[in-house]
Amino acid sequence: MSEYKKPLPLITRTSKVFYDGCREGKLLYQHCRDCGEVIFFPKELCPNCMGRDLEWLESRGKGKIHTFTIAYAAAPPEFAEDQPYVLAIVEMDEGYRMMSNIVDCDFETITCEMPVEVVFDPVTPEVSLPKFKPVVRKK
Amino acid sequence: MGSIRGKTAVVGVGEVPTGMYPERSFIDAAVSASEMAIKDAGIRKEDIDTVIPIVVVSNALDNANMICSWMVEELGLGRTAKSNFQVASGGSSSANALKTAAALVNAGLSKAVLVVHSDRLGTGLDLGMAITMFAKVSTSQEYEMPYGFSQLALAGLLQQRYMHDTGTTERQIAAVVETNRKWAALNPNSIFYKKPITIEKVLESPVISSPVRARTMNKLCDGASAFIVTSAERARDLTGQPAYILGLSSRCTHFTVTQQPDIFKAWSPAVDEAYEMAGIGPGNVDVAELYDAFPTFTLISTELTQLCGRGEAGKFFEEGHAAPGGKLPIQTNGAMMGQGHTGAGGGPALLVEAVRQIAGKAGERQVDNVRHVIVTGSGGVGMDFHMEVLGKEV
Repeated sequence: MSEYKKPLPLITRTSKVFYDGCREGKLLYQHCRDCGEVIFFPKELCPNCMGRDLEWLESRGKGKIHTFTIAYAAAPPEFAEDQPYVLAIVEMDEGYRMMSNIVDCDFETITCEMPVEVVFDPVTPEVSLPKFKPVVRKK
Repeated sequence: MGSIRGKTAVVGVGEVPTGMYPERSFIDAAVSASEMAIKDAGIRKEDIDTVIPIVVVSNALDNANMICSWMVEELGLGRTAKSNFQVASGGSSSANALKTAAALVNAGLSKAVLVVHSDRLGTGLDLGMAITMFAKVSTSQEYEMPYGFSQLALAGLLQQRYMHDTGTTERQIAAVVETNRKWAALNPNSIFYKKPITIEKVLESPVISSPVRARTMNKLCDGASAFIVTSAERARDLTGQPAYILGLSSRCTHFTVTQQPDIFKAWSPAVDEAYEMAGIGPGNVDVAELYDAFPTFTLISTELTQLCGRGEAGKFFEEGHAAPGGKLPIQTNGAMMGQGHTGAGGGPALLVEAVRQIAGKAGERQVDNVRHVIVTGSGGVGMDFHMEVLGKEV
């Protein structure tokens, strides 16, 4: 496997917990024990009530595509070789949104509101990036 | 918030042509635009006691280099200037600068404020540098940068969802570009002066970041503009036709686009407050100068400002109502799609055009009987929304 050349996430006190979870196949988000706010991106302080009693919960990893774009050209240089690739904002069932890539699918079939589920891409021994693939869900 | 309705006015504007000018330094362009604004206002430069330059994007050194005091020195205001500071909120910088200037004048802390913008997004950095820089603006290093975000991708994300929600067609999106270029074709300061484009031509350009096409992307350019704010009282003595600041309001909602709320709920109160302060409604708007960067933003702003109902803006543009000769002219300088993207300069350029329309100085683009013009601004990845109402009379 060749060296990974794309930007790796900045690891901070909070993002370390998140990416430690990803390495173990868990997609984590935060919940404020004081006011019940669902929080993502992870924070030190609840943006709703300023509480500091934030707990980490594991997401079921399912959501739907809020919106997406297929980058064919003019992407940041590190991503040029990957073009075309899909950048999306995913609305998670737990009620938060995250940016990611949509993988393992035919680009022609992607639509807003399409159900997706998380897959973890181990780009380095330390970092697994959560990405999403389409899923067929039962009603 | 107390009303500042009609207490302050924009009295002079200046603008150098937008385009590719490798031989023009950003400070020379800033000085030229300021000189024009001072002459247009009929004010003595010594009467300007506050200078507010807007953030420079293309060159980190230029931006860090205290351009606020640099402008004071260049304009010879060293004996008379009381304060100088920079305003930085991306595309809403001009809205924040106008608000700050009006507040300073209204509070009696300044007599006349010069706001100036200059940048070299066209020749000050190459395309690769521009792409790299814009890929890192208003995005999370911890959770987003690993996925290949860029400002073009942002435009794609917004347009995709907007089309999904409203049923707006690609042809209608292209109609916004056509409209911008019709106005730009009449604007000697635009890079697209005398260069209109058809919807068909837009639609045959390649998809860059779906559904955004090459010709629905704005062009990075060099440019500079300036305006002067003073009290309504002084304004009457200075210039033939001041543009009175009748109303303004804004909302700031997020840093990264993933956290963007429903903007029609979050930003609409700003629109209501600005209309209320001005004492007018959308039916009284004669011209709208809506901050864009991409055509989808124009459509969203047309709806947010209540000039059209939700999802109706695409049809409005397609039918030509926003174009020259239309019933409600929108973005009469061509906006960023037609005049070029000069960094945070798209905002001041729109404000300058609004003042020209009120003063009857818009040349071939002049709209008849202009009494009220609205101007909007937004920075980052749609992090905020500002609306100002300018009027011919108090």
